[in-house]
Amino acid sequence: MLSQEKIAVSVVVPVYNEEENVPILHRELVDVLDTLGKPYEILFVDDGSSDTTRDVLRSLCQAHPYTKAILFRKNYGQSAAMGAGFRYSKGQRVVAMDGDLQNDPRDIPKLLAKMDEGFDVVSGWRKNRKDTLILRKIPSRIANKLICSVTDVQLHDTGCSLKAFRREVVDRIRLYGELHRFIPGLARVEGARISEIVVNHRMRQFGVSKYNISRTFRVVMDLSSLNLFLKYLRNPLRFFGKMGAFFFLAGFAGAVWFAYESLVHHAPYAALNVIVTLVFLIFVMGFQFVFLGLIGSLIVQTGSRKGRTLPPYILSQKE
Amino acid sequence: MKDIKKEPSVTVVVSVFNFADSVAELYQSTIQSMEKTGKTVELLFVDDASTDTTCQILSNIAEKDKRVRVLRMRSQFGELAALEAGLKHSQGEQIVFISGRVRINPAELPKLLEALDAGKDFVMAWRYPRRDSLLNRWISSFFNRLVSKLCKIKLNDVNSGVFATYRHVLEKVTIYGDLYNFMPVMAAQQGYQLGEVKIEQLPGSFRVSKYPREYMQRFLDIISVFFLTRYSKKPIHFMGLLGTVFFLAGLVIEIYLFIYRILQIGPIAGRPLLILGALLLVIGIQMISIGLLGEMIIFTHAGDIEEYNIEEIING
Repeated sequence: MLSQEKIAVSVVVPVYNEEENVPILHRELVDVLDTLGKPYEILFVDDGSSDTTRDVLRSLCQAHPYTKAILFRKNYGQSAAMGAGFRYSKGQRVVAMDGDLQNDPRDIPKLLAKMDEGFDVVSGWRKNRKDTLILRKIPSRIANKLICSVTDVQLHDTGCSLKAFRREVVDRIRLYGELHRFIPGLARVEGARISEIVVNHRMRQFGVSKYNISRTFRVVMDLSSLNLFLKYLRNPLRFFGKMGAFFFLAGFAGAVWFAYESLVHHAPYAALNVIVTLVFLIFVMGFQFVFLGLIGSLIVQTGSRKGRTLPPYILSQKE
Repeated sequence: MKDIKKEPSVTVVVSVFNFADSVAELYQSTIQSMEKTGKTVELLFVDDASTDTTCQILSNIAEKDKRVRVLRMRSQFGELAALEAGLKHSQGEQIVFISGRVRINPAELPKLLEALDAGKDFVMAWRYPRRDSLLNRWISSFFNRLVSKLCKIKLNDVNSGVFATYRHVLEKVTIYGDLYNFMPVMAAQQGYQLGEVKIEQLPGSFRVSKYPREYMQRFLDIISVFFLTRYSKKPIHFMGLLGTVFFLAGLVIEIYLFIYRILQIGPIAGRPLLILGALLLVIGIQMISIGLLGEMIIFTHAGDIEEYNIEEIING
């Protein structure tokens, strides 16, 4: 495998304390990727593991020249790890997967085949999940519904880590914070065509699951900002302006109410103080929103993206 | 990139301002203590545009001792500028910085380097025992605890102004403005190992504190460091949480008043609670909106973001 050759497939695997799983996964990956007959690379991203994962990776990399590893200085989270994997991978297609062996590397050729049908992103769908029902499956299903409806993607399982991307998509998606949960949605922002196939899902053999339910609030918050990016990135004033208009209307209604009470019922001003204050407050809100929207437009205009999306001609191009 | 060669040479950057009385002694004791380490030492004085004879004294010293160099700022730019200039004009791989606003015993400086050699990436001096006034100490310990708690680091003296570290660490840790005081926090954020060494403080200080304005500034600095280190990539998680709390509080108040009115318990129009509830709702919505604006800033600059610090790339 010469390094000058163009790498066809990069497999990006973020790992965190997976010392037992990494060698097994690597073996399986090599077996599957060798059958493709194309140059490939396996890129592990160690997210500041505290066990021997790093040493395991070192020896794997020494034995296999096309196995690479990025070692973080500390734990930065899955988004950062995935983002680094995307940035430093060189393949024309990039497959992302978990390092816990629950994803099956034998699904990779199927993902790539589906991509050949003209898709930019192919996601896995764990139709038969091997997880506990209450703690993982049900929250995951609710989250999936929510994420799909906000991000405008039709997938059964956005949470499945096994996904394949075209290089152009990977280069456009910037993962930071906790956005790794919304990769299909972020790809949508770029105008990518997305599909899915059913993939195998296996029981966890080694290590512990790093799952907790307390993230719900953060997911909801991330979704609300994603909603903004998806629908209003070109003109944020439309979003904030709508809110502002709503408050202006409410303020106007309050003013009418005041006039009605005052002129028709001859209510004393002292009794109407509260209405007056509320009306003022609501008007202030309305103005604030309009100006926030203007600042938003300023941000988008001075930012590096300017609402760009993927150029369509690259999308329809065949490798 | 751990494999950067740890050259034996050390640069001591000393920021000085109107030190005419003490700079000769400072030079003597610093160079003496550094000689004991057995390393090749370079002493760089950054004169922050002193108005007295500090600069002449330093030039005289530099003429006699080739290990000493003097950098004179055009006008007073502060300690961060002094550090940056010192970094640019020095060769040492290990950097010791001594702020001009504290007086420590230079004889103890080698302890910082020992900690560095023992594997730490950024070693802070802990002024101990302290020789400040009781009030000063008390406030300082309050701030240190606040910073340690909010930024999840373990340091007893974040603000001592004396530290030792490697050149590549300083180059990686981005700092600006007054946040320079929180360099250890930023270094920890980048995944560098922090260390702390007790260093004796000498009585007296060159600094004139401006209470309480200075405390207000420090407090605001801590808030921005907290926000920048914990939430700069996800502002909505912070502002959204605050906003939601305010919004819900307002909502509860208004629902209570609504029920109160519906059940005809009494009039609500004259109650200040009504205004308070409305205000809380407004503040809540505002916070969330500003958080969304923050998200937009990050999203539109996402191409430049690299929130992780890579230690090593194997086979890359």
